[in-house]
Amino acid sequence: MRAVIIRGAGFFGFWLVLIGADPVDGVAGLFTAAAATWTSLRLLPPSSGRWQYAALARLAWRFMQQSIMGGLDVARRAFDPRLPLQPGFLTYPIRLPPGPARNAFCAFTSAMPGTLPTGVDEHGALLYHCLDVNQPVVAQLTVDEELLTRALGGTDGDR
Amino acid sequence: MSFVLDLFTMGAVLAGALFFLAGTVGLLRFPDPLTRLHALTKADNLGLGLIVIGLLPQVAWPLGAFKLIAIWLMALFAATTISQLMARAARDGEPVR
Repeated sequence: MRAVIIRGAGFFGFWLVLIGADPVDGVAGLFTAAAATWTSLRLLPPSSGRWQYAALARLAWRFMQQSIMGGLDVARRAFDPRLPLQPGFLTYPIRLPPGPARNAFCAFTSAMPGTLPTGVDEHGALLYHCLDVNQPVVAQLTVDEELLTRALGGTDGDR
Repeated sequence: MSFVLDLFTMGAVLAGALFFLAGTVGLLRFPDPLTRLHALTKADNLGLGLIVIGLLPQVAWPLGAFKLIAIWLMALFAATTISQLMARAARDGEPVR
């Protein structure tokens, strides 16, 4: 129940910021906030894991850094007349179990330089498509997973 | 002061536009759907981020700024989610090494 109130208030507050505090629009906002709360509870049930804010801040910092690296990397390759690409697949044996934490990991790493998660193989390892398979991709992913696991309170998938 | 801020806006938005151009060049030049997805997601995320940062000094605080950042975050969430789904679809029929 606590999660319902907190999330509902959050979504409605978000609506007010985006649309403004008009009484007629507010009614639509209430319905929207209710629908968003229902959806969020279905997709992401309240978990007992506690977020570690210091680790979360490090994760956000790494995300910013790596986003810049990723953009520069792609831009450099796209503009280079020789088109330097070594595309290929590699597998990453992920420790996070299927669930919200793994989804977060996939979303996070899809914005990292040169990596794109494309699902799992028959052994349950994540299949990554890489722009350049000669880059130290697995080492990078290991750092990402460690940081994310710590940010989520070390609960490994809060299920 | 506002002149400096305007210069900052011009610089950041121009840099952002350059990354969108890079993403488009990559989309045209890269050899297959998966590499093209890399070009689009990575370059556009950074491009949109730079444009949002560049526009921040030009909007009303704090509501306008919050809106801009919300747009950026939602585009980021959408891009990271959809690029994986498209990659999964594009992988079918590709050799796996």
